[in-house]
Amino acid sequence: MKPSNPVNRLLRKNISVGQIAGYAIANFVGLAILLTALQFYRDTTAAENCADDSFISRDYMIISKHVSDVNIFKGKASAFTDDDIAELRAKPWVKNVGVFTPSRFHVNGAVDFAGRGMSTHLFFESIPDEFFDVRPEGWSFDPADTSAIIPIIISRDYLALYNFGFAASRGMPQLSEQLIGSVPLTILISGNGKREYRTGKIVGFSSRLNTIAVPEAFMQWANAEFGDSTEPATVSRLIVETNDPGNPAIATYFDENGIEVSGEKLNQGRAAYFLSIVSAVVIVIGLVICALAFFILMLSISLLLQKNKDKIHDLLMLGYTPRQVGGYYIRMVAKLNGAILLSAIVVAVVASFLWKGLFGSLGLATTGCFVTIVVGIALMALVTAVNIMAIRRNVNRNFFNS
Amino acid sequence: MIEYITIDRLLPVVFREEKEESRIAGSEVWLKHLDIAKPQSYLVYAESGTGKSSLCAYLYGNRRDYDGKILFDGEDVGTYTPEKWSRLRREALAYLPQQLSLFPELTAIDNVLLKNRLTDYSSEADIRLMFQQLAIDNRADVEAGRLSIGQQQRVAIIRALVQPFDFLLLDEPVSHLDARNNEVVAQMIAAEARKRGASIIATSVGNHLSISDFKMLRL
Repeated sequence: MKPSNPVNRLLRKNISVGQIAGYAIANFVGLAILLTALQFYRDTTAAENCADDSFISRDYMIISKHVSDVNIFKGKASAFTDDDIAELRAKPWVKNVGVFTPSRFHVNGAVDFAGRGMSTHLFFESIPDEFFDVRPEGWSFDPADTSAIIPIIISRDYLALYNFGFAASRGMPQLSEQLIGSVPLTILISGNGKREYRTGKIVGFSSRLNTIAVPEAFMQWANAEFGDSTEPATVSRLIVETNDPGNPAIATYFDENGIEVSGEKLNQGRAAYFLSIVSAVVIVIGLVICALAFFILMLSISLLLQKNKDKIHDLLMLGYTPRQVGGYYIRMVAKLNGAILLSAIVVAVVASFLWKGLFGSLGLATTGCFVTIVVGIALMALVTAVNIMAIRRNVNRNFFNS
Repeated sequence: MIEYITIDRLLPVVFREEKEESRIAGSEVWLKHLDIAKPQSYLVYAESGTGKSSLCAYLYGNRRDYDGKILFDGEDVGTYTPEKWSRLRREALAYLPQQLSLFPELTAIDNVLLKNRLTDYSSEADIRLMFQQLAIDNRADVEAGRLSIGQQQRVAIIRALVQPFDFLLLDEPVSHLDARNNEVVAQMIAAEARKRGASIIATSVGNHLSISDFKMLRL
């Protein structure tokens, strides 16, 4: 390496450290905000998309009619009528409505577990398959096959209730999902003057549905076979898929019609909606800062090349190529942008690690930083490419005097 | 490499309206057809304001505001790209601009080395020897901006010589030199041109470079 390249020494003249530092800081801040917000957005939406987790399950709500003292005496008032369902379906924020079909027969489940037998009354419900958040293997039922296992999905809350409530206080062993899935249940179905033993198996756990769910095929068959035909089929719970979870009209409508949303799903939906809006706003702010920084740099470059116009021209007159002369500035911009990109990526990655711990304690998975890094690189590559083009054009313009 | 330069009905755009005037009509260059072949040297003499510097700038690819054509070995230079001109300026064309164009913040020797590092044509020792021959060796490490105009002219001449060339364009090379220095400079230039089998194209308004076998051209 030559101690001090005289060409660089000439071209370095008039470089304003203040301008360059201003650009570097502005672009670093903008890019760091942009990438961090992007990573945050991706992490929160990843948690949402993750099949098993409904922390931000903003798309589904399970609704029922409010049970009041008055309802009890009015009999079936807490059920949804066909008109209610049709009205709900017509709402703009409703994407799909699913009906919970309850079992109209008696169910008794028994399990022989670690030498102790346990037996309990149960109930089943079914909903169309597309509303499930889990798709376990063996989720089907063929009534013709008498040895067919009844697949069951239960709410993950039930398991938690047992593990952290019951088992902990009674000194019983805690159970894992895998263990429960491997234990066969003896199901006694009775009603309509018939009774039948079947084997059931818990094949999955849902965070979305707080029920004991079986496939619709089983429910239709069992209701027809064992159901009390004198009792009319009532719909007391609905699952609603919405495409606009933050819409205040939802809450208003539910309030007016005495409809309850199970759990805090609606609030979670609003939180998720709010979170995604905030992320988007922050991303846009980051973009705006980056754009402003970009214009500062473009301005600085053209100012610098303007100030050094004579030197550039004289170097070209000596036989230096426009590529050699522009090369000094191109290398400078590339190094600067590279350093800014690297720092911004470090900030985004470190920040994501900080909130990863928090997300982890909520039992949520986050995504990797790969996409964020690629977006950062792509953005900076674009900015650098435009900078390089501007430098080349500016230098070439100095080549001929007229 | 350039073997010959052809100037074909060349005229600066600013002279377009003056075509009929005796100044242009009587010129041996403007609007004429002229072949300049190596190694014949030319002295283009004229009064000031007749376009000497323009001619040099046209031949060096620095300006393109002319009518007519300039051909290098039969090739129209109007089609040359900046990259091509840069290559010619390193390998085939040397130029001493009238305004010298030294970088005032660099030392005299660095100004020359700046040119030399493009081709590594001479060693620094050779260059220092040339400084010595032109009696400016004691000023070699002084910033060019602090040299007298005559000293600057000699530095610029050395800078024009530290490269391979077929044609050496000298725009008023000795305008600021006394007779003795003119002699020394002329000898060095002639020797360097001879070494390369190159042509010298020098312009002058009065103080001609002291070389004997010039072909004179009135601009």
